[in-house]
Amino acid sequence: MAGNNKRVIVVGGGLAGLAASIRVAEGGVPVDLFSMVPVKRSHSVCAQGGINACNEVARQQGYSEYQHFDETLYGGDYLADQGPVLEMANWAPRIIDLLDRMGVPFNRTSEGFRDLRLFGGSLFKRTHFAGATTGQQLLYGLDEQTRRFASEGKINKREFWEFLWPIIDGEGEDRRCVGIVAQDMRTMQIQAFRADAVVMATGGCGIVFGKSTNSVICTGGAASRCYQAGAWYGNGEMIQVHPTAIPGADKCRLMSESARGEGGRVWVPRKKGDTRDPTSIAENERWYFLEEKYPKYGNLVPRDIATREIFDVCVNEHMGIGGENMVYLDLTHMDPHYLTEKLGGILEIYEKFAGADPRFTPMKIFPAVHYSMGGLWTTYTPGDYQPESPAGIHNPGDESPASTAVGQGMEFGAHNNMMTNIRGLYAFGEVNFAYHGATRLGANALLSCIFDGLFNGVSVTNYVLDGVAEDQGAATVSAAVFDHAVEQEQAKQAQLLATVSDSGSTDPQFNPYTIAGELGVEMTAASTVVKTGPRLEQCLEKIKELRERYSQVKLGDAAAWTNQSLSFTRALGDMLIMGEVIAKGGLLREESRGSHYRLDFPDRDDDRFLKASVAEYNATSGESTIMWKDVQTALVKPKPRTYGKVEEKEPAREEAVAASGS
Amino acid sequence: MSGEQTFFERNYFLLRRLHSLSGIVPIGMFLIMHLTTNSSVVWGAINSRELHDTAMDRGVATFQHEVSFINNLPLLLLIEIFGLWLPIAFHAIFGVYFAMSGSNNVARYAYQGNKRYALQRLTGYVGFVFILYHVATLRWGWSWLTPGGTQWSHYFASSTLAAALKGSGGEWSFAGVIVSLGYFVGVTSLVFHFANGLWTAAITWGLTVSEKSQQQWGRVCAALGAGVMLAGWSALFGFVFLVDHDRAVAVEEQMVVEKYGPEYLEKLREKYDLEPEMQASAIRDAADRPYPGPAPKLDD
Amino acid sequence: MSNTATNGQPSSAAPVPTRTVTFRIKRCDGPGQPTRWEDFKVPVVPSSNVISCLNWIAEHPVTASGQQTTPVVWDCSCLEEVCGACTMVINGKARQSCSCLIDQEAPREGDVITLEPMSKFPVVRDLWVDRQRLFKGLEKIKAWVPIDGTYNLGAGPKEEPDDQQMRYTLSTCMSCGCCLEACPQYHKEEQEADWENAFVGAAVLSQARLFNAHPNGKVLEGERLDALLGVGGVNDCGNAQNCVKVCPKEIPLTESIAAIGRAATVHAIGRFFRGK
Repeated sequence: MAGNNKRVIVVGGGLAGLAASIRVAEGGVPVDLFSMVPVKRSHSVCAQGGINACNEVARQQGYSEYQHFDETLYGGDYLADQGPVLEMANWAPRIIDLLDRMGVPFNRTSEGFRDLRLFGGSLFKRTHFAGATTGQQLLYGLDEQTRRFASEGKINKREFWEFLWPIIDGEGEDRRCVGIVAQDMRTMQIQAFRADAVVMATGGCGIVFGKSTNSVICTGGAASRCYQAGAWYGNGEMIQVHPTAIPGADKCRLMSESARGEGGRVWVPRKKGDTRDPTSIAENERWYFLEEKYPKYGNLVPRDIATREIFDVCVNEHMGIGGENMVYLDLTHMDPHYLTEKLGGILEIYEKFAGADPRFTPMKIFPAVHYSMGGLWTTYTPGDYQPESPAGIHNPGDESPASTAVGQGMEFGAHNNMMTNIRGLYAFGEVNFAYHGATRLGANALLSCIFDGLFNGVSVTNYVLDGVAEDQGAATVSAAVFDHAVEQEQAKQAQLLATVSDSGSTDPQFNPYTIAGELGVEMTAASTVVKTGPRLEQCLEKIKELRERYSQVKLGDAAAWTNQSLSFTRALGDMLIMGEVIAKGGLLREESRGSHYRLDFPDRDDDRFLKASVAEYNATSGESTIMWKDVQTALVKPKPRTYGKVEEKEPAREEAVAASGS
Repeated sequence: MSGEQTFFERNYFLLRRLHSLSGIVPIGMFLIMHLTTNSSVVWGAINSRELHDTAMDRGVATFQHEVSFINNLPLLLLIEIFGLWLPIAFHAIFGVYFAMSGSNNVARYAYQGNKRYALQRLTGYVGFVFILYHVATLRWGWSWLTPGGTQWSHYFASSTLAAALKGSGGEWSFAGVIVSLGYFVGVTSLVFHFANGLWTAAITWGLTVSEKSQQQWGRVCAALGAGVMLAGWSALFGFVFLVDHDRAVAVEEQMVVEKYGPEYLEKLREKYDLEPEMQASAIRDAADRPYPGPAPKLDD
Repeated sequence: MSNTATNGQPSSAAPVPTRTVTFRIKRCDGPGQPTRWEDFKVPVVPSSNVISCLNWIAEHPVTASGQQTTPVVWDCSCLEEVCGACTMVINGKARQSCSCLIDQEAPREGDVITLEPMSKFPVVRDLWVDRQRLFKGLEKIKAWVPIDGTYNLGAGPKEEPDDQQMRYTLSTCMSCGCCLEACPQYHKEEQEADWENAFVGAAVLSQARLFNAHPNGKVLEGERLDALLGVGGVNDCGNAQNCVKVCPKEIPLTESIAAIGRAATVHAIGRFFRGK
């Protein structure tokens, strides 16, 4: 055990952060856990659908961990390095077992086994779930264990603390992360914390797009700060947009695709700008555009197509309801009792937040930014499974080429697993770019978060105990390094606070909330479902303008106590840089892959772009440059991603019910 | 947690549960008995063992029999002290202490349950004050607190009680109106406090866990409460509106004479300073009948 | 599909505000600072909720009387009524501000919406309160299943669907504090030293029931009940039953309290006869 004063810092208290904290603390290294919210309120609570894992029932039907791995690669359009994905799929059943032991109330069959549901991207029931709030239940399970460790003094929770900057010591190859600067969001005290390793588990960046399905804390600010401090950012352009969300004035809330699976029909009035009550619009005056354009699949077309069609109808043809960006998702032709029985939970959500009962009034929905496959670039040590040539198509029942032993895909406990390009700085969970490639399968997000924490938490422990020499520990680093980092943040803060009283312009264009609003609108318009080169260039111009305006931003609150405006405005600067990375990656990736759809380059181009886009920040110029790194495809040979479109076979109804995504 | 806990903290659970229990046994049980007994002044009208002509006379006689029975119980004072006064004191003192840990928010959360919560505490305070007054005046003989200075006597249970409620001699006085209203409020409070307390006790002890069982038990408590309330109100109504003071005295004197003989009544009259001419006829009637045994000493 | 590429924000066609609503907000600059009320006239659209209005105020921090002020501070995260953060007192009642739609709460022109911080917790600033005591309560009752570590030790115990449903319902508690705000027995305690003997409240009692109901969580049942027998434990419940009425997740809190009451009765009697 660590008979010295080595410590680990975990930033972020969602599934990945908590799993990592527990695992590292269990390994005997004290953990300082930083979170902007009480960890029980982290964004992981929003996940609804479930968590994927091979299980005995599916196994006896021909499913396997290997098939799960294969599906995940295929879903992600082969943009993910394959080893880590294999390891994750292999660990999934173990992770479910562990969560089960922690007391997560997974739904049960009448015999008392864990119940399963069908989800997108698979023909097998492999998704475990706890009611309609699986993410919440998993997070609570980990939160409870964290509380236990905290009560034993092994984890020191610092809630309402905002991560400001990673402290990096050394130059070039010797660069390593030795701590962080953080701020108490209540007292506004800025403080440096030493650590021999720092785990970033700070989630996605949905707020860069304004209204998304993300929580308000998901600004991507923490990832951006690491990026600005020298960490690379991978596949930023890979942003998943969920086709059906409930547009709200403050955010977009997910509407599960099971609504379509149960018979929901998507339509808009045939007359442009028709403002009549939808129930009074006659059948022949309604345009069921999905059914008309895709007679075979109708409303059950795959997600990305549904998303693009809804965009097309609203944005290009201006046929959205009342001229707004919304279409109807209609269940009113169905028996209300049947709907209550099948969809009760999700209908309640709609009723609660839209104020109308979907059993009698058609729902208004629109796609929304949901998940970032991209994130901080990380590396790993490959595992034992090294086939002579990549495997071809894997069918159910086929013997798995790889075993499920520990360490097949990724070496267990290797120091560099999911470490960024800065030694000692790790990225776990959504902020890690590693597992989902170009798009994420529904119910794989929860898995990747917990897998990162549990599997790679051991790497962190090993690195701290064995990889950091005693005389190199963070404790030996000069106090000046930490003081300097604190001073920098204090200066940044002082500069922002000074704008309150200076006589500068009160022009709303320098209002941080206005700038953030414009960034969100621009990013959503240019860099989500449908992208083109010219539009992305325009977007980059706009971001440049916004960054210019941001340099003259004027804060509205000079308080030295619980100043949320300061926190938001500081993050806004980081969001602008994040937006630039996302747009730039999208512009340079001249192909269509997974969630990234370029109208001007509609096909996948493996020759040029079977590569990760890796952004690097130039701190002097403030510019981002994109490098291209080969994707490791030694395990499975990439094949065309043909869901529904090319294959003539009817997609299983359930397959489209699919992927409420969570 | 600090190692040094007070006696109160160490025995908190026991004290809370004793508090809950004491409200039911003995206090609640006594309340039921007491109000049933008192209401006999009304339901005694149908008591065929009493041979009086009018319904009210039969009621008065029945009540007198009940009171006499209780007053002849052995070790009555001990029963009262340990079975009633101490439990009530315990229940009241801790009740006030516990109630003070709550704050009323009915204005914001006007749910029925919350109103009952607030009423439970209010009726506890009111009930305690009422019991103090009731016991002090009628049991301890603090007649300076009764309207007209009436001293209650268990030999003349109905008449002196009616007088203590309405005013001396049974005529309404202003103080009598106030006291009678006070009794109405006091009795009503105590019955509510008991019935609602019985309902919450089942939750406290964990007898009723599910919402359904709490509802069902609630209906039982409501029915019981209604019954006890009916007894309480009818007793009060009987003493205040139905009992004719003079006729009641006649009935009661007759019973004294029947039981203890005319000399004993004379002694009682001296002690209680009763007016002789009012009871003359009763003594005459009673004098002819044999009396059952030696009279008790006039020492209480 | 046409060949332009402009993706839209859901509301980028900007629904025109249909009316204005007045927000009366109780403000406080920090612990120990005086409170004050500020009014804001906020334009609303049919989909507006309290959060979107507070966002609007952040962008336009000017009171109804034209006075420049600071953006209102409040706590929020998921905005889907599942994290519990954005709880505040709206028109006198504790609830989540994200699920408070303006058209429902203030349907008429000129309606006023009053926002106050929860009164049972120390105010950090404006509408933001410190609910740490609630989490401390969870620690006090050891609200976890004491697993043997995160090693691969196979599945957990099998469970009947009815039991799972019961646990799931209890496990949807998001520690928002509505039940405590509405509870007449739960009071604000500024000092952490006073938390030990102050009432833990319905949320914590219900979590004790949740973990006692788990086959392995049960191992700690005795310790949990010991913690709840004393001052501030289950006996401090006054059965006002407001908690169950205001719980946004409709958790059967009063049943949980009764269940803990029953367990406590059995536990105390057992302890008496076991002599420990």
